[in-house]
Amino acid sequence: MKKHPVSLTVNTDTYDLLIEPRKTLLATLRDTIGLTGTKEGCSTGDCGACTVIVDGKAVTSCMMLGVSANDKEITTIEGLASRDQLHPIQQAFMDKGGYQCGFCTPGFIVASKAFLDENPNATEAEIRHALGNNICRCTGYTKIIEAVMSAAEVMRNS
Amino acid sequence: MSEYTVLGKSVPRVDALEKVTGAAQYGGDVHLPGMLHGKFIRSKHAHAKILNIDTSEAEKLPGVRAIITQDDVESGRRVFATDKVLYLGEPIAAVAATDPDVAEEAADLVKIEYEVLPAVQDVMEAIQPEAPHLHSDDTKDGPARRVLRTELRKLERDDSQDHSARIAELNAQMEELADEVYYNVSAETHSDAGDVEQGFAESDLVVEDTYVIPRVHQTYMEPHVSVADVESTGKVTVWASTQGPFAIRSGIAGTLGIPLNQINVIATTMGGGFGGRFGVALTHVPAVLLSQKTGRPVKIQMTREEEFTDGRPAPGCVIKLKTGVKNDGTILAREGLAFWDSGSVSGASIGSTIRLRGVYKFPHLKVDAYGVYTNKSGTAAYRAPGTPQVAFAGESQLDDIARKLNLDPVEFRLKNMRVEGDPVPAGPNEPKVGYKETLQAVADAVDWKNRTKGPNQGWGVAIGDWTNGCGPGGMFVSIHEDGSARIFHGSMDITGTDTALAQIVAEILTLPYDEVTISRGDTNSAPYATGSGGSVVTFTMGNTAKLAAEDTRRRLLELAAERLNTDVESLELKDGQVSTIVADPPKSIGFGELAAYSLSTTGGPIVGKGSFARKPSTPALAAQIAKVEIDPETGRIKVLKMASSQDVGFAINPMAVEGQIEGGTVQGYAWATMEEMQYDEGGNVNPGFVDYRVPTTADLPTVQSVIVEVEAPDGPFGAKGVGEPPITPTLATMANAVADAVDIRITELPMKPEKVVDALHGNGK
Repeated sequence: MKKHPVSLTVNTDTYDLLIEPRKTLLATLRDTIGLTGTKEGCSTGDCGACTVIVDGKAVTSCMMLGVSANDKEITTIEGLASRDQLHPIQQAFMDKGGYQCGFCTPGFIVASKAFLDENPNATEAEIRHALGNNICRCTGYTKIIEAVMSAAEVMRNS
Repeated sequence: MSEYTVLGKSVPRVDALEKVTGAAQYGGDVHLPGMLHGKFIRSKHAHAKILNIDTSEAEKLPGVRAIITQDDVESGRRVFATDKVLYLGEPIAAVAATDPDVAEEAADLVKIEYEVLPAVQDVMEAIQPEAPHLHSDDTKDGPARRVLRTELRKLERDDSQDHSARIAELNAQMEELADEVYYNVSAETHSDAGDVEQGFAESDLVVEDTYVIPRVHQTYMEPHVSVADVESTGKVTVWASTQGPFAIRSGIAGTLGIPLNQINVIATTMGGGFGGRFGVALTHVPAVLLSQKTGRPVKIQMTREEEFTDGRPAPGCVIKLKTGVKNDGTILAREGLAFWDSGSVSGASIGSTIRLRGVYKFPHLKVDAYGVYTNKSGTAAYRAPGTPQVAFAGESQLDDIARKLNLDPVEFRLKNMRVEGDPVPAGPNEPKVGYKETLQAVADAVDWKNRTKGPNQGWGVAIGDWTNGCGPGGMFVSIHEDGSARIFHGSMDITGTDTALAQIVAEILTLPYDEVTISRGDTNSAPYATGSGGSVVTFTMGNTAKLAAEDTRRRLLELAAERLNTDVESLELKDGQVSTIVADPPKSIGFGELAAYSLSTTGGPIVGKGSFARKPSTPALAAQIAKVEIDPETGRIKVLKMASSQDVGFAINPMAVEGQIEGGTVQGYAWATMEEMQYDEGGNVNPGFVDYRVPTTADLPTVQSVIVEVEAPDGPFGAKGVGEPPITPTLATMANAVADAVDIRITELPMKPEKVVDALHGNGK
């Protein structure tokens, strides 16, 4: 299959790639670039494990083609922490036990970041609504919500 | 438990950093140079003869490296379907190609001719003579025929007198019980205690019902995946996302006839399992076969759709249940008959049917259970396998009885619960248990006695019991020259167990938690460890860790006695040092110094060893109370409150324990209200998250977890298994809350809104 040139900016690095048009953004990130922190849970856009931020919006990367991400800025879970400091959401997930097997965790953290960046004063109900596209099977969500609520407070105060 | 410094504390987990940064390596993250991608060619019918398999077109596709069928399995063990397929999605062949999309294209090009056969999906239809018989025309006796046949066999063997009249009578009675001739039976189990007929005769109230519980999928978020690399020497390496790497090793060896010492299984971080990630059959063996054939590493990763059609979910079942009680609420007798939908292979959790006895004093009990073949994939464990199903039946029926007798459902249960020393029907006497404490704790947590409710609101209570498993495990603990300790073992971390092990070792060695690190070896390097399921890890590997840490302590004390010119008895471990207990002047020496010194001793480095297999487990109870509100227009069940208590013996890490309680409770809630794998004659019809609903953040409020600690005598520091119990009561908790809210008893799960509406209008079950 004929490959197409694309230029993606992922976590501040720019990648000039040749990819088949049938490859999803998820496959491009994981298989071509080698950023495997973003997970594939359903391939149908229903579980949110593959959530990344594209030009400021949360996107399920299994539902977007790699060629459609040309010239776009993408943030993945690998891009959240700085060299010596976790993002407050990552820190909160750690401190509050907001993960168990961890497979859905990158998607939850990235989706939470996209939402809290836009809605720093979100209520619990709004957070529950916003994260309704992400499935976690281990935690029952109690500690995820606690983590996101506490991260929101830290982010507001910094 | 304030005497501990690390145990009983909610320290962050040992794997926290890798999990929140995306660094953790799961099965699908393994990428080897030259790696090919495998895809299955699957049956398109639920029951059919395979007339022909034509791979010629697929082989021509550029990038395809191999296509294998059962003909390629030299050992002859069944890996792929050959003459007949028994369920939609059953693997018939597999292809390896340079790219996953090419492999998928190739799979579509394989042409299979079928002769479609009638299929059966419902267990009650499958036992009938007119149903398609999946494996043979053999029949089994139902419970009453079984009793008659037992007598018949006895009389036939007895030559001492003439029994012909009675034999003729028994034969005639068996003839009359024609509806007790069951076809498609995969397995059966029977238990009894006392005399149920007498028990029912003595009862003031006898209640009888049939309960239907659907097949549900464990829905671990990471689909099955494995990467196999077979070297030219024949050595096999498999990267597997699994709960039991050693079982995968022996499974591959047994299936393919490869010597055990030629197989190394490297277990990756696991994206959930809940019991569904033990099986060897799904991806590991086909990946090894494809790698053998191509000489290249091969990855097979199932899609979510494949998980639903060819996963190994929890069995659904039909339970006929009868319970007799006195008017004062004394339970006398219970009789249960269960039909478990085992799919196309035997193995449904029928052994759990005995848990219909709950934790109550049933003087009379009779339980009969049958596994039944249907045209579905086989089943596997799911969190306390079998128990949520039977607890749904048992606890729903008790709730109806409490309502009929106008008894408080908590008091009614407390009155009949067993305590230490009580006989367990068809089992040994109770050891030390905390049944009453656990139920009382959740009742107190919601202020049960003073509960109030508005219109269409109701409260439901239920319990579920379980006992953690036990199994062999080995472990090493080494002390390094910096004074830190490292644990080395082969057991899979399931959501916090490595953390519990590190806490145990830190406590015994008096080290700070972050001075203990933990590594998991592969099956080539690590000592054997039992699979991580059955709430086994904290109990088994916790005991192993205790032994390994105590062995390490012994060596530290020996070395310190040499260095400090004293004897071992005068020394103790304190704050990461070995110090004199009573001495003037006090003397002490650090672990780091002892580790460095050990390298020049004749005894050598400090390596503590722990090896453990078995100690008696202690039963654990989970108890829940939910408050719900029903919307009579839409049938939606809104959970206003969900409290969940559990006797965990001792909470080594309360935050991790709460996480287990919360997660299990929500899985149970989902089974009660939304989850159901649906089948028609063609097979599974809802293989995806749009049609198979699982809960999200929007569905449920916070779960209030209540930790109860009734020490397990043989658990490490009193701990019991934690992972499985919290799912066991919730199906009934929810149904009982609905019954209390709108006075309808739903006996067939899930309680989807349309079913609730139907029941409200008197149309449903």
